[in-house]
Amino acid sequence: MNQVMTEEKLKTELLTLNMGPQHPATHGVLRLEIKTDSEIVAEVIPHIGYLHRCMEKHCEHLDYRGIIPFVDRMDYLAAMNMEWGYAIAVEKMLGQEVPRRAEFIRAIIGEMQRIASHLMFFGTYAIDLGAFSPFLYAFQDRENILRIFEEVSGARLLYNYMWIGGVWNDLTDDHLQRIALLSDEIEENIKKYHTLVGENEIFIGRTANVGIISTDLCYQYGLTGPVLRGSGVKWDLRKNRPYSIYPELEFDVIVGEGKKGQVGDCWDRYDVRMREMHQSIRLIRQCLDKIPAGPIMSKVKKVIKLPEGEIYHRTESARGEIGYHIISKGDKVPYRLKVKSPCFTHISVLPEIAPGQMIADLVASIGSIDIVLGEVDR
Amino acid sequence: MNVNANPEDEVTVKEYFGNIWRAISTTFKGMMITFKYVYSVKPVTIEYPEVREVLPDNSRSRLFNNADDCISCTQCALVCPVDCIYIASTPRSKEDPELKTSDGTAIKQNLTQFTIDTALCCYCGLCTTVCPTECLTHTTDYEYSQYTLDTMMYDYLDPEVRAWKDRLVSK
Repeated sequence: MNQVMTEEKLKTELLTLNMGPQHPATHGVLRLEIKTDSEIVAEVIPHIGYLHRCMEKHCEHLDYRGIIPFVDRMDYLAAMNMEWGYAIAVEKMLGQEVPRRAEFIRAIIGEMQRIASHLMFFGTYAIDLGAFSPFLYAFQDRENILRIFEEVSGARLLYNYMWIGGVWNDLTDDHLQRIALLSDEIEENIKKYHTLVGENEIFIGRTANVGIISTDLCYQYGLTGPVLRGSGVKWDLRKNRPYSIYPELEFDVIVGEGKKGQVGDCWDRYDVRMREMHQSIRLIRQCLDKIPAGPIMSKVKKVIKLPEGEIYHRTESARGEIGYHIISKGDKVPYRLKVKSPCFTHISVLPEIAPGQMIADLVASIGSIDIVLGEVDR
Repeated sequence: MNVNANPEDEVTVKEYFGNIWRAISTTFKGMMITFKYVYSVKPVTIEYPEVREVLPDNSRSRLFNNADDCISCTQCALVCPVDCIYIASTPRSKEDPELKTSDGTAIKQNLTQFTIDTALCCYCGLCTTVCPTECLTHTTDYEYSQYTLDTMMYDYLDPEVRAWKDRLVSK
């Protein structure tokens, strides 16, 4: 006898899916527990901690110079920006002066690192959405930047270049000329890449009106960096809380305008990063014009002992606001070093924007907030 | 224009064909760029085992300690953030002949062990910056993978390891 199943008798439940930790779309080792209703995402629970290396605890046993290689390894795609923030925090506490040339070198290298990081975002985001060759094009330019970094600092990814009180090696005139040429080349290429990917109708279809983060949501979750600016908030620490030589330089704060859809969607976040690269090139050119001659390292005591007290200093990294909270008891080692990571807050907004999306759109949302798991877990 | 418009929404004929035209034209533009790369850009990939890239001079690859110049000051071991340098030495007696490094610093200790655990090394370069006689340096040699971890322990007093002094990756 056939039993007639009415809709009330049918038992429905959400299907639990695991995305990651080895899923290529999760950019590292992020595990997303997804509850799906057919192809619609009902709930997302991010599980982090797969790349936790006890960095902060480890730093409590290292002298202040030895911490720099460790902050490199937190955000390995924008290591120069990480070092810069840490160096400024320690210098402020020490009352250490930094030579003017070193400040300019830091700005040049820091902006180049921002371009390299955004190019990485551009490439991997295109891969997430099914385009492979933009990734290879972006890596060609990134490779040129890394080559200069390698010649200057000696390493390709984990530099240990910005030291407390200056920088390790000087940029030669040859380097400066090559950086000038490289910035011209990259500017041309970025325009090309934008036509290739950003203007493509398929890409727009995948990203416009997807993963909208409203301004209120940004404030609630404390989002920073390109994600915040993509939602139309004009907030850039380089402009609003200027540090180093940024007050002397001219650049625009890029905000999302909702050209292809609503303000705060994935396309806006992509667009903010692409246009930020142009601003970075603008900054590099100004620095190259203004860079003075002089020393690159000021005199720092051989054993650095910070005075008793604490400091919180934040800088604008490629991914957002990176903050260092150093508590010192007057020893050679910090009592506590807390790193405020932008990616951690960005991940926390995922459960808010994901429900109601298709699974493929969820991949687009994860890619657009540009997370580095090394920095989330530390 | 709302590209993610609900498919059930009414679309005018103009919008319908406009969408198709946009999709074709933007994809065509992208394909033009791709073809430019296919035919006019030379390959940039290095065919690794056949062609070896020469690293810049100050590239930080394998550490090398010239044990003749080492004065056993242990500064490198102290500054190392991962503690991968092991140094042992015995004081030289006054009867022993005077020894000097190549830059004229007197050697007051007999180096009995200088081992670096290369598997543990994080290539930060801090040890090379504190070395007073500049005997500990990073070389540009990057081909030294091993099958087991214990073979990554390099004893720089070993004559075989000393011979690396001139070993660099050739073109």
